[in-house]
Amino acid sequence: MQASLFNTSPGKARITSELRSLWAIVRREWIIFTRYPSWIIALFIWPLIFPMMYIFTARALSGPDGSGLDVFIQNTGANEFIGYIIVGTTVWMWQNIVLWDVGFSLRNEQMRGTLESNWLSPAWRFSHLLGPTGPQIVSMGMFIGITALEFGLLFGVRLNGSVWMIVLMMLAAIPAIYGLGFAFASLVITIKEASAFVYLVRGLVMIFCGITFPISLLPEWMQEVAKWLPQTYLIHGMRAAAFSNAGLPELIPDVIPLLLFGAFWLAVGYSTFLWMERRARQTGAIGQY
Amino acid sequence: MSDLAIEARQLVKKFPARPGSGDKAKVGEPVQSPRKRRWQFWKKKAQAMFTAVDGVDLQIRRGEIFGLLGPNGAGKSTTIRMLCTLLEPTSGTATVNGFDVVSQANEVRRSLGTVLAGERSIYWKLTGRENLEYFAALYHIPANITKRRVDELIERMEIKDRANELVEKYSTGMRQRIAIAKALLARPPILLLDEPTLGLDPQAARNLRSLIAQLKQEGHTILLTTHYMEEADQLSDRIGIIDTGKVIALDTPEGLKRRIDQKEIIRLELTGWHDDLNDKLKGIEGVEALTTHQQNEADLWEVNMHAQNSRATLPRIVEAISGNGTRLVNMNIVKPSLEDVFIHLTGKALRD
Repeated sequence: MQASLFNTSPGKARITSELRSLWAIVRREWIIFTRYPSWIIALFIWPLIFPMMYIFTARALSGPDGSGLDVFIQNTGANEFIGYIIVGTTVWMWQNIVLWDVGFSLRNEQMRGTLESNWLSPAWRFSHLLGPTGPQIVSMGMFIGITALEFGLLFGVRLNGSVWMIVLMMLAAIPAIYGLGFAFASLVITIKEASAFVYLVRGLVMIFCGITFPISLLPEWMQEVAKWLPQTYLIHGMRAAAFSNAGLPELIPDVIPLLLFGAFWLAVGYSTFLWMERRARQTGAIGQY
Repeated sequence: MSDLAIEARQLVKKFPARPGSGDKAKVGEPVQSPRKRRWQFWKKKAQAMFTAVDGVDLQIRRGEIFGLLGPNGAGKSTTIRMLCTLLEPTSGTATVNGFDVVSQANEVRRSLGTVLAGERSIYWKLTGRENLEYFAALYHIPANITKRRVDELIERMEIKDRANELVEKYSTGMRQRIAIAKALLARPPILLLDEPTLGLDPQAARNLRSLIAQLKQEGHTILLTTHYMEEADQLSDRIGIIDTGKVIALDTPEGLKRRIDQKEIIRLELTGWHDDLNDKLKGIEGVEALTTHQQNEADLWEVNMHAQNSRATLPRIVEAISGNGTRLVNMNIVKPSLEDVFIHLTGKALRD
């Protein structure tokens, strides 16, 4: 019989092997994503439907001559009420989709039966959570791009700012948004059913982060709570970058808290994963579905 | 290097008993010492524990096929999951290829090829080839070797024509072959196959059994769990029979059968079976290990029993089943099989 292929070479070779494993997981996830045709509907229909609900509500409340919109613009400091709404709703959808996609990625593998066979390989186990994040970020980028395109074409929304500053805000938010997703994914493996938690998080974002209204309208205690949610800073910074032509100096007060929240949530996400992995070895949770 | 590919010593696995699951729970030891617990404001109720594996000892030699045999829930899958590092033993130790399953888990995983969940262990939305390429990367097989290795396995598993089709279009047998190819990708010295022929049609099961025999010829050590007696009999060099978490017998198939060589197996086929007959037959002197099983056809029952001297016992058996609507359809006196050994040892049929 031929000898095993493995040589336990530490260091560089090991890192290269782990990166190849991670890339294989990213590639697998992308291939599977594109083989479900429903992704087209998700990418083209959802960006339009959800914000439209708020846009038409705003129009209905603005009075017959639309004068209410001027009050709204005054309150928010924005010069574009549709753009103001779509930034908030898009951030809300981003967090929502991450909780469902990344948050349930391990659980879906568990129910499919493939989690055990992945777990049995010598690859770094956190890669199985990290991998699905790559295609998720790409599809989310497409989602945001399509949102801008659709509202530009159908509602005449025009960007008044730098695309690079928008990208900067998104990059700064990734650790916090996905860190929460990692923590959530690990919990779902243990408790199996966690839809209620998704509803709670997205409810908090919806009410406290001001997805369609300025936070200054909230009671003081709610404004205090909003300060502890990273999405508040993302929405504020994205609006400034997209519609107020804000540059880096203006965005720093939003970027710094986002990065701090990111470090916190990534640490929580990784620690929760390690806890889940240890617990699964004791209870056999990986193979239960 | 040790002669033993797998060694388990006093392996125990306990799980918290799930309420209403039917687990035979025992109240476990308190989590903390009684002295410490006095200081708690609220007392944690002692967790009821279910012992799935209860002191299993195994010594599997390199190059042999070892069959682990037992009914559903006997503890064979839990044992195999501890050996492949998915589960941590509650107590006891185990080594695979010389590596400890707890402290050297990654080395154990590198030494093993596993088929645990069969066709569910691979991605149905990927092609057969994509699955193998994916798992090759997870097993850290260098990129320059992967293509050649995947091609070899596709050829060997006789799926070349359909390697680029989605797995969801494959038959169960083909999916199982991909799962086995996945286990062979890294050419591991030891294979753990958990119920590899479950759900396969007879032809596919036969092909898979011949593949397992070939793998042994190539030098692999194979730990096979199954609840098909004939499969274990045909393939295994040695068999461990596991029941209620304990290995209750361990020998070659022939050695196990010799244990009841002096016994005869009386096999009846009846219609009109009723529960009273159970006690009647058990009451006949010389009748042991009676089991019944309803055949696929309605109202046709297979009744097996062991007897020291069938000539003396048979007339009394025929007399007991006469009348009351029961009709003897067929009767055989057969040589003991592994199934009979199992019944002799546990008092129940494997399929129970």
